[in-house]
Amino acid sequence: MESYTYVNIFETKGLEYLLLICFLVLFIFLVRYLASPLPAKEQAGKE
Amino acid sequence: MHDENKKGRSFADIIRFILQEMKPRGKFLTPFNVISIVVIIAGVIILTVRFIYGLGSVSNLNQEYPWGLWKGFNVITGVAFAGGAYVLTFVVYVMGVEKYHSIVRVTVLNGLLAYIFYAGALILDLGRPWNIINPIIGNDFGYNSVLFLVAWHFMLYMIAEFIEFSPVAAEWLNLEKAKKVLQMLTLGAVIFGITLSSLHQSGLGALFLMAKSKIHPLWYTEFIPLLFLVSSIFAGISMVIFEGTISHRVFREQIGPDGKSSFDQIVFGLAKGAAIAMFVYYFFKLLVFIHEHHWQHIHGFWGFWYLFEIIGLVLVPCFLFAYGARHRIIGVIRIAAILTLIGIIVNRLNISMIAYNWNVVDRYYPSWMEYVVSFTVIFAEIWVFRWIVTRMPVYEKHTKPAMA
Repeated sequence: MESYTYVNIFETKGLEYLLLICFLVLFIFLVRYLASPLPAKEQAGKE
Repeated sequence: MHDENKKGRSFADIIRFILQEMKPRGKFLTPFNVISIVVIIAGVIILTVRFIYGLGSVSNLNQEYPWGLWKGFNVITGVAFAGGAYVLTFVVYVMGVEKYHSIVRVTVLNGLLAYIFYAGALILDLGRPWNIINPIIGNDFGYNSVLFLVAWHFMLYMIAEFIEFSPVAAEWLNLEKAKKVLQMLTLGAVIFGITLSSLHQSGLGALFLMAKSKIHPLWYTEFIPLLFLVSSIFAGISMVIFEGTISHRVFREQIGPDGKSSFDQIVFGLAKGAAIAMFVYYFFKLLVFIHEHHWQHIHGFWGFWYLFEIIGLVLVPCFLFAYGARHRIIGVIRIAAILTLIGIIVNRLNISMIAYNWNVVDRYYPSWMEYVVSFTVIFAEIWVFRWIVTRMPVYEKHTKPAMA
């Protein structure tokens, strides 16, 4: 029976890959957040 | 004057006009004028002493700390703040986003003056300033040196920025033919300038690659050039917002109410750009941190100081820019711009001074005279900027040129 091998993501590139995936996902959210129009309630307040 | 216009103005007319324009305008005894004149006079005296008796007579620089406040703040930070010029010209002339066209002239002027004064301040900090010409004339090219690249780029970029701004001066002098010729050169100068900027902004960071053993590990990385380049984008944008906010109050007669409302719209767009650039920069820093296994350094003063810089002066203003742009709150964007500028100053000073020789007992602290000279350079730039803005058509295209 094979023994369990613990992979420490702090010692491998794993954490860097995870960070890049987080970056790409969050970047999409940021761009969508910035590109979305002003909420109608706030728009009325500005006018 | 009509006949003269037909014949064309002579060189003597232009000189006479410029001399006439040298006369001060408006109220002279303002708090800013009084303070800045006192500082400039003190700065000139200190600089005279510096050039007669050498650097050691006015500064605390030594063999351990050959680069101090003048390089760390004036040159390295000042050039990052001038990044707005290459960002804006790229957006307007290359990407064709006309929305930002109204602030291109003032941004290019800011960039030009920043390079003349802040990069020019390099001369003050050189032990043998007369050798500054060596990389240019080939006395000792030193092709492998980053300083060779920086020296050439500073000089060429100043020329490129001068060409970009020169149509404004031609318009002011009512030299229509010259203006047309200079405008034809603008696009070429812009592309040339952007190429130079991206290289020397990163080149300034590359200067510190040779100081691996001296800079604290949290700030030293082989990616310093890339980090300097990316941070110069949002440093420049923040400077445009900060400078524009002040200028729209000081020069409100020249800008007018239409200019103010359009500037607010421009600020919202700039804030979006700054938020994205800061977000990318933050993840770069995080990636470098993880890649270089810096967990063990996050303790004590240096760890907290690093976290303060990265979270308090990068991540927080990034969110503020995004929030302000999304909800159209100009005050939040201004706070974000100020925090970002402080963050850039802290980052550049950390690398060049604070975290430099961090483990040496005998540390460098700038003398009061170094501070006075730094402020002298800033005030002198503001005086020249104000002189140009109050005379040349920087903020709006005048229907009538200044020189009739």
